Amino acid sequence: MDLLDQYKKAWENQPENEQKVSKTDIYRMTKLRSSSIIKWIFLIGIMEFSLLTSSYFFMDYDYINQQYKELGLENFYILFQVAAYVVIIYFLRKFYLNYKNISVTDNTKGLMNQILKTRRTVKNYVLVNLILAAIVMIILFVKSFYTKIEELTFSKSITIIGIYIIVIIFILFLFWLVYQLLYGILLKKLNKNYRNLSDN
Amino acid sequence: MSESLEDKFLNDFETNQNIVHKICRIYTTNSNDHNDLFQEITIQVWKNYAKFRGDAKFSTWMYRVALNTAISLYRKSTKSVKTQDISDIAFKIKSVDYDDTEEQQLKALYKAIQNLNDIDKALVFLYLEDKSYREISETLGISEVNARVKMNRAKDKLKKILNP
Repeated sequence: MDLLDQYKKAWENQPENEQKVSKTDIYRMTKLRSSSIIKWIFLIGIMEFSLLTSSYFFMDYDYINQQYKELGLENFYILFQVAAYVVIIYFLRKFYLNYKNISVTDNTKGLMNQILKTRRTVKNYVLVNLILAAIVMIILFVKSFYTKIEELTFSKSITIIGIYIIVIIFILFLFWLVYQLLYGILLKKLNKNYRNLSDN
Repeated sequence: MSESLEDKFLNDFETNQNIVHKICRIYTTNSNDHNDLFQEITIQVWKNYAKFRGDAKFSTWMYRVALNTAISLYRKSTKSVKTQDISDIAFKIKSVDYDDTEEQQLKALYKAIQNLNDIDKALVFLYLEDKSYREISETLGISEVNARVKMNRAKDKLKKILNP
């Protein structure tokens, strides 16, 4: 008899758990709130969408309009705003559909895949926003730099470019840190299990 | 209508709760976490019970929901305090045939399974519950060939822990 067969026999003969839960307690449990990671992924996702989108509401549009006009970038500004709205509608819809498709009755790999897909949607939204912000910053920087280039000395120009690069790196680092902490904690186990299930 | 669904759920769940206890026992190491996971599985089974159409056995369907909850949805509650180690809790011997050797083997088996990773735990659990490779592959969402390969590896790991 194989070693595991002996243990399997012990497994099959094991008595019922002594802490049998009564129907009353099972009923009570069904009324409690779930603490599953899906709830957190949804809440954090919505928070990210709200945070990034709400930043648009705090802008002084008259002033911004004026600035773009001075730089001769009015058309670019309109195009950018349209792009921002298209991006949010596209990602919100995708996020909601992915979230709705998460089902614990799916098979294990399918369920994990769907959770990670939902989470990736938010990640991509943030990434697209960062890229859009970077494009705007670069265009504004280049345009204003060339407008005022005659007033600037070489060392001043280098200082401004240096500060710009440092600020961008710092912002990216902050994003990276928040992501590592937030999703690192939340999805560490899931990512590990997904890898273990997927490898051959 | 909804009341009868609830009653049906309570009957089904109460009868099959031992499956959930076994899963909780391999995925947690203390009674607080055990109860926490048991509760989460109960919530998930109830929330999805309306989707259970009865074309499969309730227990088969419950294996999937319970394992999915343990592997993918459950996060240890941060407030959980370490209490008595489950492997130290003695089993109540209810059956006459149930001798001490088997009790010791069972304890050793649970302890060994707890040392495996989450996926190997699921594989070994389904093997011990006598599930076919077809069922295992359908539950986990991998091919039957892959299930066999993974199962052999998981069994080898388990044997090494049980008999170093």
